[in-house]
Amino acid sequence: MDSPGLAPHKQPMQDTTRPLHATPLRAPETRWSARPTLLGLAAAALLLTLAAAITTLTRSIWPETSGLYLFFAAVLLSATRYGFWVGIASALAAFALFNFFFVEPLYTLRVDNPADFMALAEFLLMAALTGFLAGRLREEADAAKSRAEVLEVLSDFAADLAQAKDADAILQIVPRHLATVGQGRAMVLCQRDGLELFASFPPGTQPLPDDLAAADRAVTRQSVQVGVQPGWDGSPLTFVPLGTVVLGYGTYGPSTNLAFREQALAVICRQVSLALDRFTFAAKAEAARIAADREALRAALLTSLSHDLRTPLATILGSITTLRELGASLPEAARRDLELAIEEETQRLSRHVDNLLHMTRLQAGLALRLTWVDPGEVVDAAVARAKRAFPNVTYAVNATDLPLIRAEAGLLEQALFNLIDNAVKFSPKPATLWIDGHVDHHLRLTVRDAGSGIEPAVLPQIFTPFFRAAPHASSGTGLGLTICQGIVQALGGTLTAESPTAFGPGSAFHIDLALAEPP
Amino acid sequence: MTARILIIDDEPQIQRFLGHALTASGYVVAQAATAVAGLEAIERDPPDLLILDIGLPDLDGKTVIERLRQTTDLPIIVLSAQDQEMEKIMALDLGANDFVAKPFMIGELLARMRACLRQSRPATLEVIRHGPLVIDLAAHSVTLNATALRMTPKEFDLLELLARNPGRVLTHRQLLKQVWGPAHVDDLPYLRVFIGQLRQKIEADPARPELILTEPGIGYRWASELAK
Repeated sequence: MDSPGLAPHKQPMQDTTRPLHATPLRAPETRWSARPTLLGLAAAALLLTLAAAITTLTRSIWPETSGLYLFFAAVLLSATRYGFWVGIASALAAFALFNFFFVEPLYTLRVDNPADFMALAEFLLMAALTGFLAGRLREEADAAKSRAEVLEVLSDFAADLAQAKDADAILQIVPRHLATVGQGRAMVLCQRDGLELFASFPPGTQPLPDDLAAADRAVTRQSVQVGVQPGWDGSPLTFVPLGTVVLGYGTYGPSTNLAFREQALAVICRQVSLALDRFTFAAKAEAARIAADREALRAALLTSLSHDLRTPLATILGSITTLRELGASLPEAARRDLELAIEEETQRLSRHVDNLLHMTRLQAGLALRLTWVDPGEVVDAAVARAKRAFPNVTYAVNATDLPLIRAEAGLLEQALFNLIDNAVKFSPKPATLWIDGHVDHHLRLTVRDAGSGIEPAVLPQIFTPFFRAAPHASSGTGLGLTICQGIVQALGGTLTAESPTAFGPGSAFHIDLALAEPP
Repeated sequence: MTARILIIDDEPQIQRFLGHALTASGYVVAQAATAVAGLEAIERDPPDLLILDIGLPDLDGKTVIERLRQTTDLPIIVLSAQDQEMEKIMALDLGANDFVAKPFMIGELLARMRACLRQSRPATLEVIRHGPLVIDLAAHSVTLNATALRMTPKEFDLLELLARNPGRVLTHRQLLKQVWGPAHVDDLPYLRVFIGQLRQKIEADPARPELILTEPGIGYRWASELAK
């Protein structure tokens, strides 16, 4: 498993939607054989005193034997409330009291009547049974409550897992759940140069040297290191390795519930492992998808370049060999047409090469050679080039008296030419183009056509590489506008498209460039 | 009778010079810019030979060949680019007669066209002569400079298949299927061994073959006197 991209030692996220179980869930010892507490003994003594007092006060009204039931009640209450040993103590005390005060001979502990021994035995048996049963019941109830709490934690944890956006998020939350279930410290360490704490609970918990040693063993051996019992050397935490990540948790609590908690902890560790795997696979799939996209883009570039360079070359070579080999049988008009084809295709090839060179330069990130440039001159140069390439187009140019800007003339000319090239492609013949320059807060150069315009749906896509609005109808790499945008952005400007324009159908492309302080 | 040629290519510039060149070479030329228009034109008025660009905007060139081959043996020459190697081989396996890679010299295309047009004439040859090499198809004998050559049956089958298609490229798969059978279409090593043996026997210099020409990655071609 790959190491998730972990940020070292972040504090756990505070989840405000669910209550935090920051303290251990339950009071420690609630077993039936729990040691008697001072409070329990005192309360038992009080109950017996009460029973003795009532029996004394009422001995004139009721027979003394009825007092025995009061003592019984006191012993039962103590055993139920305070456990087995308090019950036994209470039973012994009750027998002694009853014997001392109410059994002949009075005010001695001497027992003459064998029936009175029976009473003592009954007291003891009653107290033991009641204390035992009550303790067990309380234990069962506590276990059930504890299980419910653990299940609640597991359910919280499942919800957290489902919400987690990445491996880091899971590892941030998992110590809190581990600590809640295990009722001890919990931490996540990750292996980089060495083992580093990634997250812990309670917040701020740092791994002790023993913890680090155990975690290191876990990750190097890739085996679970079980925490040692209190009083022994070593870390009390159990460390579970998940690839390069180690989960550590402590378990404290009544032994009857421990097995259940251990199971829950194992479930959590397993779920974390699965979730980390899931994110690893997702990351791999995403990387594969990105690689495939890049591959597809490269393939598209190659196909596009291959087509656009090969077609002019094929025309040129074909035309030249036709002229050479079949020149004698060609009519004069056909010869001239072939010569014209050679000229046109050579120019087309030259345009592609220009664009390619500019694109390569921009992609290589070479520094621009910025100089003071008159935008009007650049517009004129681009239009002059366009006139050579597309002689049958009418160009309405209005770009005079523009301020000098900082730019690279060749690049800007290429950007403008690409816009003109694009506009010609989408204009009905005979085409008219409008090329304007004006100054607002910045310099805006606009190439506008009255052609078919751009569908609103595709308007956002037109600058993406290889996008062709009419892939079958027109030739072109689908790179012209992308390169244009690359140039404009390199010059620190923006390229925007508008369709239809303020003048009606068609489209307009605006190059906005920052004005500079004059030299 | 002048042969009628249909060119299906979406590039007007290619159509332009091909039109001039083929007309000047004495062919009657019809042109179509899309596969659909081309298929319609073939149905309406079948040409004698089709020149088909493999990268058409509307239909895959291979689809066009598959459709045509269901109904007609019309000779097809495929125009392909260097980076369309797989498409080219598939087109040939699907039944295209030959290919020319762009950019090409017009003489190359014209030679391929002549080879294809000649093949399409029904040939009931008994003896194939190629310089000093004489292949007697009926007698299953081969002589070079009047000396009889010993040939295994497979060698003779291979030689006959190549020599019956002068100037035409035959793909590895086509040769293997015809000589060894459909189960062996991928057994390229067989073919290389047998071509080597044939060259040892019939070529003046087996290292520089002049009769069995190699089309790298595609197949072999029997040298046509017209293609020289």
